Amino acid sequence: MRWAKILERSLLTIPVMVGVAIAVFLFMRLTPAADPVDLMMGEAGNVSQAEIERLKEEFNLDKPLLVQLKYFLTDLARFDLGQSITKRAPVGRLIKERLPATIELAAMSFLLALAIAVPIGILSAVKQNSILDRLSMGVSFFGLSLPGFWLGIILILLFSVKFGWFPTAGRIAYGVNLTDITGFHLLDSLLTGNSAAFVSALRHLFLPALTMGATMSATVARMVRSSMLEVLRQDYVTLARAKGLPEVSVICRHALRNALIPTVTVVAIQAGGFLAGNMIVETVFGWPGVGRLVVEAILRRDFPLVQGAVMIFAFTFIVMNLMADILYTLINPKISL
Amino acid sequence: MRRSRWFVVVGMALAVLVFLSGCGGSEPETESVGEAEQKDKIIVVGIKESIDTLDPALYRGRVTETVIRNMFDGLVTRTTDMEIVPELAVSWENPTPTEWIFYLREGVTFHNGDPFTADDVVYSFERIMIPESIDGESSPRSGMVGSMERVEKIDDYTVKFIFSEPWPIFLRMLPHHQMVPKNYIEEHGSAHFAQNPIGAGPFKFVRGQLDEEIVMERYDDYYGGSPDLPPVGPPAIKTAIFKVLPETATRVAALQAGDAHIIHAVPPHLANQLKADSNVEVKTAIGTRVFFLEFNVTKEPLDNVEVRRAINHAIDWDSIIDNVLEGYAVRTVVPAVPGCFGYNDEIKGYEYSPDKARNLLAVAGYPKGFSLVIDCESEFKDVTEAIAQMLNEVGIEASVRQWDGGVLKPKLVEGERHASFGSWGNSTMEPYDLFEPKLLPNERGNYSQYNNPEFNALFEKAAIIVDEEERAQIYRDIQALIVEDAPWAPGYSSQEIEACRSNVINWEPSPDNRINLHRVDLK
Repeated sequence: MRWAKILERSLLTIPVMVGVAIAVFLFMRLTPAADPVDLMMGEAGNVSQAEIERLKEEFNLDKPLLVQLKYFLTDLARFDLGQSITKRAPVGRLIKERLPATIELAAMSFLLALAIAVPIGILSAVKQNSILDRLSMGVSFFGLSLPGFWLGIILILLFSVKFGWFPTAGRIAYGVNLTDITGFHLLDSLLTGNSAAFVSALRHLFLPALTMGATMSATVARMVRSSMLEVLRQDYVTLARAKGLPEVSVICRHALRNALIPTVTVVAIQAGGFLAGNMIVETVFGWPGVGRLVVEAILRRDFPLVQGAVMIFAFTFIVMNLMADILYTLINPKISL
Repeated sequence: MRRSRWFVVVGMALAVLVFLSGCGGSEPETESVGEAEQKDKIIVVGIKESIDTLDPALYRGRVTETVIRNMFDGLVTRTTDMEIVPELAVSWENPTPTEWIFYLREGVTFHNGDPFTADDVVYSFERIMIPESIDGESSPRSGMVGSMERVEKIDDYTVKFIFSEPWPIFLRMLPHHQMVPKNYIEEHGSAHFAQNPIGAGPFKFVRGQLDEEIVMERYDDYYGGSPDLPPVGPPAIKTAIFKVLPETATRVAALQAGDAHIIHAVPPHLANQLKADSNVEVKTAIGTRVFFLEFNVTKEPLDNVEVRRAINHAIDWDSIIDNVLEGYAVRTVVPAVPGCFGYNDEIKGYEYSPDKARNLLAVAGYPKGFSLVIDCESEFKDVTEAIAQMLNEVGIEASVRQWDGGVLKPKLVEGERHASFGSWGNSTMEPYDLFEPKLLPNERGNYSQYNNPEFNALFEKAAIIVDEEERAQIYRDIQALIVEDAPWAPGYSSQEIEACRSNVINWEPSPDNRINLHRVDLK
């Protein structure tokens, strides 16, 4: 039964994706009269009108909107996201090349955020109103308020320029010869047993992951705390304590499991956002991910590239939410899809 | 018991941090910018944006050109003083106004060992000129070959360029064109070529991703480069890495941390911070962009020339250069880049005089001023706000509106706005490619909607006159005319601010922003 439901939910993603495709296409064309060919030529001379017309024709920008939409949807049905106007390369390839960097950063941020947030959230709830609770909630409020670009630059100035502990930008050091298998540097270095590459990739990941994870850890810590407080007041927790169970077991096995349900929702939404790439963090740390790619594409009105990237983002969001729903049922069997 | 677990968790977290940071001492990357840079001579250049492509026929941007130019040589190149000197060509002649003959250097090879010949020159230009010749796509650079009709091979080391009408700026445009290997591209296709580029330049492509970094290595069989730009020979450094660092603060931090050796696009306020660092040198060159306030001459009250002149008098550009741009700009009173071909340095321009501005406004019928919105892209906000403030002092109620460039440009071209502050590039240093888009009617950069038959006639004349002195005189006359007619308030040419580690030698910034690493070395 559960599998049938999962299949049904998965199939529902198809009409959603078609809707997203049309919406993205129209919204991009609704951006105030900007012309990708003119932007490509820049503010410099020696551009002929004939050349502009020819390029517009090649990119189908001279066709009526509905014809352009038809081309886009027909290509999409063949899983072809089209050709980037500015990079002159297939959109699918451009996104595929950058996805590992984005996923690796997202996964690291995610792990770092959870590793910080969940223990803090639990401790704050268990020691409610203690100095530890107030301090950690104060810090998490601070974390929530920090803009990513500011935190990133401060971390670089402190840990890269001042102490020289971490590199300023990039994914891996030059001179570390890593064989590219999956595109994920950490994974590739483990697969090839290259410890120097693993350490280098980890050091490059640390500051951007910390910057990106800061906001999420603050949100999650507050979420875990409030859910835990609610659950700890339930009768079954009192019963567990009355049975004489050790406090660690009461908290971790009985209370935390139920407290995690609302947290999973928040985490899933944030994780979806993470996978869409974080333009600011990717820009600050020179991280070659999808977020930066799409922002550059938007500024230069590279319609096919923006459309392709947003389709991937939408798909990621839908999948992450579906996974969150499935996860609910695993955490609490009383919930059904 | 619980407390001891807590200590274990904190202890583990600290251990990870210490491990990660402690690895720096013995890890190869620290070596790459420290000891190894001496051993293998590695130079890392921090660039401000992603590269579009590695195919010399498919790009338009300057940053892409900087990277490509280190792998591909052209027929000619430029010194940092913008003088045109031979590179893959040894000499040239201009037998008729529409024909140029180039004699090529012999013994030059591409990175795959193929010899460089006239066939490659013909092919390189045909890829740009002939529509859909790049795996079915057209080059966005066909405007950069002007009225070029065809390129003919005379023998293996001689080519002839034939134009449908004289195109005097050909030679100044030529450094922007790079030569590509015909046989290699025909065999492998343009898509493969863009990912595995082969040129005849000082460095060969090793690996890279367009928005991460491009790694190149010295081409040991390099012919040596232009004899006019010593030292001639293979590059001194072994490895050149162009690393994309879009955030300015990160680029500067990378330089200070030693993760980059050269960076460009340093903003004035950070240049002063860098000057305080003894490990870093800040260098400047007069840029090839000219900055100005443009008036829509078809809209009231800016259709009145006295009003435009009044605004010219009201702006204290020297103060803007000193206070907003921290001195990193050069004043120009004419609509041209200082030092360009035909630059008119005899014109005095409009001196800063609020009294004269008020008088002219009164003469024009606006003794109490008027309200005016000045548009600009957000990067020019500070200068535009300073201009608005100065206009307010003479009674013009000026305000600033910031836009995304992509949104603003079409509105300016359509003549929907009143006034805008911006810039235009003139990397050939020939006023032709500034005047054509900016001041000819219906051109893509004519935001002032300027249409003056006298200017149009002078421009058309200059465009085809080959005699340099005669052409320069027309350009000087045009500058006088434009200053008189005042469709712009010419402002300044900004300096290109770049910086390097103090152990970098033989490197000077170039007015056209190119960072050529052929001659660069490390102490």
